[in-house]
Amino acid sequence: MSRPGFSVYLTLGFPEPAWFPGVVESLRGCVDFYEFGLPTRRPKYDGPTIRMTHRRVVEAGVAGREALRLLRGLDVGAPFTLMAYLEDYVGDGGVEGLRGLLEEAASAGALCVLFPDLAFDYPGMVDRYVEESERAGLRPCFFASSRFPHAWLVRFAAVNPLYVYLGLQPATGVELPIAVVKNVKTARRLVGDRYLLTGFAVRTPETAAGLVRAGADAVVVGSAVARRLVEEGVESARGLACELHRAVHGAAEG
Amino acid sequence: MVDVPRYWYNIVADLPEPLPPLLDPLWDEESRIALLVRILPSRLIDEEYTLSRMIPIPERVREAYRRAGRPTPLLRAEGFERALGVQGRVRIYYKFEGALPTGSHKLNTSIPQVYYAALDGAEEVATETGAGQWGLAVATAAAMLGLRATVFMTRSSYFSKKARRVAMEVLGARVVPSPSELTEAGRKALRERPDHPGSLGLAITEAVEYVLSGERRRYVAGSVLESVVTHQTVIGQEALEQLPEEPDYMVACVGGGSNMAGFTYPAIGMKLRGEGFEKTRFVAAEAAAVPRLSRGEYRYDGLDTGLVLPLARMYTLGKDYVPPPIHAAGLRYHGAAASLSLLRRLGIVEAVAYGQEEVAEAARVFARSEGIVPAPESSHAIRAVMDIARKAPQGTVIAFNLSGHGLLDSDAYEKLGLAGRTQ
Repeated sequence: MSRPGFSVYLTLGFPEPAWFPGVVESLRGCVDFYEFGLPTRRPKYDGPTIRMTHRRVVEAGVAGREALRLLRGLDVGAPFTLMAYLEDYVGDGGVEGLRGLLEEAASAGALCVLFPDLAFDYPGMVDRYVEESERAGLRPCFFASSRFPHAWLVRFAAVNPLYVYLGLQPATGVELPIAVVKNVKTARRLVGDRYLLTGFAVRTPETAAGLVRAGADAVVVGSAVARRLVEEGVESARGLACELHRAVHGAAEG
Repeated sequence: MVDVPRYWYNIVADLPEPLPPLLDPLWDEESRIALLVRILPSRLIDEEYTLSRMIPIPERVREAYRRAGRPTPLLRAEGFERALGVQGRVRIYYKFEGALPTGSHKLNTSIPQVYYAALDGAEEVATETGAGQWGLAVATAAAMLGLRATVFMTRSSYFSKKARRVAMEVLGARVVPSPSELTEAGRKALRERPDHPGSLGLAITEAVEYVLSGERRRYVAGSVLESVVTHQTVIGQEALEQLPEEPDYMVACVGGGSNMAGFTYPAIGMKLRGEGFEKTRFVAAEAAAVPRLSRGEYRYDGLDTGLVLPLARMYTLGKDYVPPPIHAAGLRYHGAAASLSLLRRLGIVEAVAYGQEEVAEAARVFARSEGIVPAPESSHAIRAVMDIARKAPQGTVIAFNLSGHGLLDSDAYEKLGLAGRTQ
């Protein structure tokens, strides 16, 4: 994971399963690493745009682990991680679904699987998640919100995660008047030198650069790219990604 | 000498488990979370989503706190101890928020919220109220800071709590019985049930709808939001400085949870961080008619009846629950603050529920031994203290929050038969 890093979130199969490889191809050179989301019927902690991306892919007949087939034979051209809701994989509390997903993720070449609902809905499963990730040959990675216990951020940092992802806003793509720079500084203090990824409602080069200057190692953008893809097409989405990529790297140099 | 605290304490930073996020309903494409920017004061939103453990109190707000009479006193309830027959065995202290000019703790958050609304350029604030304590606090803060106020008061209280309604109007607020004809949510409720007594959940929906339908308006929240309960931690911080000894029990009543949170969170935080209060038990006293912490479900539910606001994971009786028009109208909210709900689920906070008769008895004993008529809401805490004290071993220390006085609750005490009784 490069420092600084710029990442794009894409729901696997968005905007259409057949177009997805082309979208990834078009972003080449402007993305340091990807976060690919496994399409779900219940993207509960996402905002309206990312929910729309899940809905479109699911309606196109692709959901869950099945979406990993879209990565077969695809030269992503950069490292990638996966995002999934744990709720979809633990069912009645068993770990078979989790274990199966982590194994498939490792086979597909992912570095980690991020579960945004892990800490909130399955706080008792954190150690098991770390254990199963390592068993599958993956690093753990964690999501934290902007109202999060300090001891939990310290705990995440202690297990040498691939990254700690700080959600800057209440939901993806939703921007409220929140002092995100202050929160990044607090999170940085708590996670020490661990890789701190930041995201949610980042839309402009200025915001992305400001996050790096505040202490973030990387910035991820999802909703803004998805909106460009839908409203203006692939070239526009690439333009935004390249602009943000330059801003992130420029901030680190400057 | 105890001074007004410089910070509010945000317990989210110390919770044993992460606080589940606010959520948009899955079936709806419109984001209620995104809508918050048009509803709440900006700075309140920032305080809702902060990683900071301590949030600086703006100097203007500290000045207003001082002007309103903070710090409030912490008193030893020697008369009450004698009345219970526990003197020499149990020591009881109470923090008296009724000493504030509006007669309750609610001013602790109405002042900052109205101040924040003014910073956004708002000219009017709108809110809901049950017994009228919150509405009166908003009307007072609006008068202090030069904004207009519109208060949707649950219909049952609008008629029974005339003194508070009149006081709000004297302060310049417009008071509207909820459900009302002023909003679509109110009109719908009245069509379905013309004698609807109102509920806090519905009054919130009306107040939010009213804010969204006009310019330069902001909604101010009486409880439940984390930022709101955080404002109330001035109570607990002062109490920790004033208490001469660490209590075995800290007790407060619960409606949405701000009074309980405000009184206990600084101590609970110390307990969670291993800095003290290891043996202290934290007891939430609620109305048996609205037993959200003792009999509710822990799940995502609407903060308001009309689902204008996002969903929160909390103990709830259901957003559509219409509680009976009990005398402690301030305890009629269907849910409880997310952090308090989490602490309850984890067993760090205990809950007890009392019926009106046993609460009235507690109010009578307290009034006649301490010389203070307690608010019917606060009397639930007094009742819990009575039960604890009577069974407590030698040397037990109990502290509770007397969140308000009951001088404007004559209707409740008349109906409960306390007026006119001398025995």
